[in-house]
Amino acid sequence: MFLQQLINGLTTGSAYALIALGYTMIYGILGLINFAQGEIYMCGAFVTVLLLATGQVPFLAAVAAGLVAAAVLGLILERVAFRPLRGAHPLVPLISAIGASIFLQSLALLLFGPNNRPFPMALDFAAINLAGLPVNTLEAAILIAALGFMGLLVLFVRYTRYGKAIVACALDRDTARLMGINVDRMVALTFIVGSALSGAGGIMMAMYYNATYPHMGLLPGLKAFSAAILGGVGNIPGAILGGLLLGVAESLGAAYISSGYKDAIAFIILILVLLIRPQGILKGRGH
Amino acid sequence: MAAYILHLAIVAGIYIILAVSLNLIIGYAGQVSLGHAAFFGIGAYASTLAVLSWQASYPLAVLTAILFTGFCGLALGLPTLRLKEDYLAIVTLGFGVILDLSMRNLEITGGPDGIVGIPSPVILGLSFRDPVMYLLLVGLGVAFTLLFTYLLVSSYHGRALRAIRDHETTAQVMGINSPAYKVAIFALAAALAGLAGSLYAHYIKHINYESFGLHTSIMILCMVVLGGMGSILGSVVGAIILTFLPETLRQFQAYQDLIYGGLLVALLILRPQGLLGKGKLSLKFLERKE
Repeated sequence: MFLQQLINGLTTGSAYALIALGYTMIYGILGLINFAQGEIYMCGAFVTVLLLATGQVPFLAAVAAGLVAAAVLGLILERVAFRPLRGAHPLVPLISAIGASIFLQSLALLLFGPNNRPFPMALDFAAINLAGLPVNTLEAAILIAALGFMGLLVLFVRYTRYGKAIVACALDRDTARLMGINVDRMVALTFIVGSALSGAGGIMMAMYYNATYPHMGLLPGLKAFSAAILGGVGNIPGAILGGLLLGVAESLGAAYISSGYKDAIAFIILILVLLIRPQGILKGRGH
Repeated sequence: MAAYILHLAIVAGIYIILAVSLNLIIGYAGQVSLGHAAFFGIGAYASTLAVLSWQASYPLAVLTAILFTGFCGLALGLPTLRLKEDYLAIVTLGFGVILDLSMRNLEITGGPDGIVGIPSPVILGLSFRDPVMYLLLVGLGVAFTLLFTYLLVSSYHGRALRAIRDHETTAQVMGINSPAYKVAIFALAAALAGLAGSLYAHYIKHINYESFGLHTSIMILCMVVLGGMGSILGSVVGAIILTFLPETLRQFQAYQDLIYGGLLVALLILRPQGLLGKGKLSLKFLERKE
């Protein structure tokens, strides 16, 4: 029972971690919260589900299309809702992103209707027994895939020219520009990478809960933000740690405290973190 | 028709209080709250419960609503307002979600059905059951809010707030305790939203969680941005426009949130100062630094 809750928590937590990475990367480079991160998550899930529902697209191609769609949406958001407002008071891009989030949610509502769409499961995820423990292979697959994406991100940021350039821009935009880095392009790249990760989280949760709907991004987006703060905003390992911890806390809280208030747990943690350790577990650069 | 316009005027009055109070947070504390509708709801439930459970008189119920909501604002503002701008937006959004869940699940709030049969206000034997009388009461609330806001903004404290908004470090060097000011203005704005909640509950007579969700918070935010962040008169105009306009465009109701969202992005790119942002009580801080 406890072990099962722990695994459930890690599975949803890995999706929070993927969205939190998007928040943290964008926050790191622009110092802004992209409020529409949850809608990017929703967009990735919708594109994959709609393609799979046609019955003619192979699973991996549909997933790839979902990731690309999420990345493109992120890029469009950067161009429309953030770039024209650079240099303005921080309130202005914040409200603009809130507007974009509401716009995308209601657009999805108009285009796809309010109903849940099931995930057309192409692969068979049966429960197997591993050394006497029942293992849900879907959960295992999601966890492994999420950890794979996180690993790729860390490798990208640490060891590639572009990854290092993003870090340089996050540390000091002006100096990075003097070193010949095209800052605008790095900001766009950050949006692409961060959005693709959020899209991946969306696809995983659409599979896990077997539900895709226009408002699906609202709560995970908020919780992922809490996760980013918990880990230390602007800190990549922190976002991963924060996401997983939050998922586990939520799952255990729902099982042992009260399931009616499951969605409140993330915010109670957020407020506690802000009170006790606003820089997060691993020190973020937000302050 | 006249009755309908009267109804809209009452609703517009309530939204004026909400928009002006949110504008205090945005324009004078430099923060965004996405939970203003939650404070609106707290005020509505507090006032209702005071009347129904404690048999409190109406003026006492209004006072309870204002004080209790202000206290909630204080409790939420204390941990968050020491931090950067963006945190308050998320924390208030989360607060809205928690409150939404509480309103649906708690016994005292009547669960998802809410509370019905809220009595009309009676003050000193005078009943405000008639809509014309109620408009008068709402008008009184609006007048109080505007007068209070105007006096606050043009006082020593108003100047201190503007100094913080325009340059926080300089203000602190001048000896202004900026976190204390931000928390105070946030609590005051919450208290005013509580007043609006009380006025709403005793007019509509039936409240449930649906009226106090994110949709309402976004609508109030739209009113403020449309009228001009930091412009008190702008918020009045924004609230009136966004109360009456959707009524004349009934056939577009499905597109309402789409329009609100698009409006926010478009306004901030094209005219961040809003309709009346250049007025007497406006602020210059939104202008782009080149």
